[in-house]
Amino acid sequence: MGVKTSIAILITAALLMMMISAVQYYYSRRQIRADLESNTEMDLVIKSQKIRFSLESVEKALQNHMDDIERSLPYPDSLFSLTRRIVEQNPDFDGCCIAMIPDYYPEKGRLFQPCSYRDGKNIDTYLYDVKKYDYTKIDYFNYAVINDTAYWSEPYSDPDDPSATLVTYNFPVHDQNHRVVGLVGVDLDAAWLGSVLNSHHQFPSSYDLLLSGKGKLICGPDAAEVKHQEVKDMVAMINDSTLERSPSHSGKSTILTFIDKEDGAKGYVFYNTHKSIAPWQIAIVSYDDEVFAPLIHIRRINGLLALVGLLILSFIIMRTVKSIYKLRDANAEKQRLDNELMIARNIQMNMLPETYPPFPDRNDIDLYGSLVPAKMVGGDLYDFFIRDEKLYFCIGDVSGKSVPAALVMAVAHSLFLSISSHESHPARIMQGINESLCRGNESNMFVTFFIGVLDLPTGIMRYCNAGHNPPLIKKDDVVEPLPAKANLPLGVMAEMDYLLQQVIIDPETTIVLYTDGLTEAKNLQHKQFGIDRTLEAVKECHDATATQLIQTLMQKVNAFVGDAEPSDDLTLLAIRYTPQEETWTLSRSIALDNNVSQVTELNRFVQSVTEDLQLDKALSKRIKLAVEEVVVNIMEYAYIPDIKGQVKVEAMANDKRLRFILTDSGRPFDPTSVSRADTTLTVEDRPIGGLGILLVRNLMDTINYERIEGQNVLRIEKRI
Amino acid sequence: MNKLIKYQPLKTFVMKTTITETEGKYTVTLDGELDTACAQEFEEAMKPIHDLKEKEVTIDCAKLEYIASSGLRTLLGILKNSKANGNKVILKNLNDEVLDVFKMTGFIDIFTIE
Repeated sequence: MGVKTSIAILITAALLMMMISAVQYYYSRRQIRADLESNTEMDLVIKSQKIRFSLESVEKALQNHMDDIERSLPYPDSLFSLTRRIVEQNPDFDGCCIAMIPDYYPEKGRLFQPCSYRDGKNIDTYLYDVKKYDYTKIDYFNYAVINDTAYWSEPYSDPDDPSATLVTYNFPVHDQNHRVVGLVGVDLDAAWLGSVLNSHHQFPSSYDLLLSGKGKLICGPDAAEVKHQEVKDMVAMINDSTLERSPSHSGKSTILTFIDKEDGAKGYVFYNTHKSIAPWQIAIVSYDDEVFAPLIHIRRINGLLALVGLLILSFIIMRTVKSIYKLRDANAEKQRLDNELMIARNIQMNMLPETYPPFPDRNDIDLYGSLVPAKMVGGDLYDFFIRDEKLYFCIGDVSGKSVPAALVMAVAHSLFLSISSHESHPARIMQGINESLCRGNESNMFVTFFIGVLDLPTGIMRYCNAGHNPPLIKKDDVVEPLPAKANLPLGVMAEMDYLLQQVIIDPETTIVLYTDGLTEAKNLQHKQFGIDRTLEAVKECHDATATQLIQTLMQKVNAFVGDAEPSDDLTLLAIRYTPQEETWTLSRSIALDNNVSQVTELNRFVQSVTEDLQLDKALSKRIKLAVEEVVVNIMEYAYIPDIKGQVKVEAMANDKRLRFILTDSGRPFDPTSVSRADTTLTVEDRPIGGLGILLVRNLMDTINYERIEGQNVLRIEKRI
Repeated sequence: MNKLIKYQPLKTFVMKTTITETEGKYTVTLDGELDTACAQEFEEAMKPIHDLKEKEVTIDCAKLEYIASSGLRTLLGILKNSKANGNKVILKNLNDEVLDVFKMTGFIDIFTIE
């Protein structure tokens, strides 16, 4: 995934770079092309002027001799020395000749043409052999004579040296009557102009050509620099009128774009649109690769930079993507942990009582609890259940918060449930939990805990506190903390003896249990909710139900805390005790000695009750069996054998239920805490005892034991 | 309301245990209500069964009206003993109420009941 994304980003970056450099290239090229045009046009102007200047110097040099020539006309032979002098005085001149019109000197024949030519260092002066070369048959001669005008000839090959190209400047010679009587011509080697022309170039391979009005090459670059054939081809191309030409941007020059036939190189020929040195013309040849060489160079550098940039970018992207993925992984990990915490929270919440009202069939107890963890999971707990007509309830607060606290909370909670399933003595439950928690408590977590066991028929509440906030007891409008010895919290010291305390809970009393998340709830000013506000809030609830009371309390503490972060888990539990008076239509009792032979008496008594209630035979037998079993149990366990004592059996009934209360003065014996017989054992493993209470639990709806004023009081009840 | 009165018995409860032997097979007939009061007597009456070895003992409960845990204990004792002595104990003709008690105590799983 990471590599894919990186590559995608890199490709995008590369495309962007390419686009940028393409645009840059396009505009740079345009600029260079424009520069080429303007520079070349400038060159054309400068070079035209140079050529013009060179030509003018020739023209002037010749004109300086014109007076001498015209003065010497009467002396034809002196013209020879004149031509010689002209050549001598002008080293650039290759030769000079004076061609007279026919029959000007009759004595010299029809034609007369004295001339001087350089031959190496010497100058040969002679009369031109007019038989070999009749100048009157040459167009320009007649043209110049007739029109009385000076002019530059078309280029021609030197008869002596075919590789050299010559041009001739002709100037008309006048007699005293201003009549044109001949022409003076000076020959020049065009190479001289070529060196002027090709003295400098914009580009190394560029060269300039000087063409005549008829498109003939006058001079070009040195043969050593540009091949003769190439120049020839170029001249041919320039003269090829079928090729397309385009005007320059400024319109001052015309451009012929060509592709070299041999090497395919692209090039441009620039020449003046208007012939400034008419009839001659300069053409400047430039090659594309050189014109755009800087661009190619820049492009290479650009490409290299782009490559380096991309490499750096790819490195950065790799690193960035890596860190992004790391971050993503970390996020995913956090998400996973959050999910797990959420699951843990659900598990923890499911451990706690969930449905309210918890005992919809009962009207003697009203309960409501609430636990709000400060974090996802918390260390607070509370629970309650009814076993054998006793309400077992607890509230606890594990030191610390979050996961470690939640784990200890879960352990404490399950210990409470497992121990109290067979133990009704709060201090012993507390000791059991404490011993288990102290075992291997290396993290030194401790738990403040409160356990209460409320006997629902009598209102006797036994309780034990392990360092927890004492519950509040609300009766009418009086609210006060339950006098509860603090003791040490659980998990501190294994050998701790927890004090059992007892109180009678009057009807219509509400017990309010809370954790310090209530009293220590802080607002934004770091003020605590405190015990006084708590007492006041509970007091204001008057005769509210447990649900109303907890909700009111929650509202008040939430209003107090406002927008402050909750600092601790908040747990509340309210228990409202509302025992109902029963009206009995039947009430009967019997006192028995503690001797099993009295069972016959007992059975007769029970039978009379069931018969009076007109119960069916099966139910009657079940009730008889149950009562017999409990009485035999009391006789066997409460009384030390052979000690005389009595068991009082009271029966009471109305149209809903039948209740037996068995009272004895024997030693404390709680049949409900006898561990239940395991009915799944094999014959060999089944103990002989323990069947009686098992039967009673199966036969009756409820069983309840309470030790009251030195007597064992056992209640069993059956709905009829 | 709850005044203590001396209760007058309505009827006398009787429990009769009969053991018969036919061709080496023993049959125990239980008749009446086996409550805790007569549990000792029942225990005594069943003593001969304890001495048997590799015999089949059928306990006929057709007339057993009632059984308390004390009676169950005696039966459990006999079952344990018979296992040790290689006897085979079969209970039969249990009425609904007695069968209920066997169910509640899990005895239904350890006794052979026909």
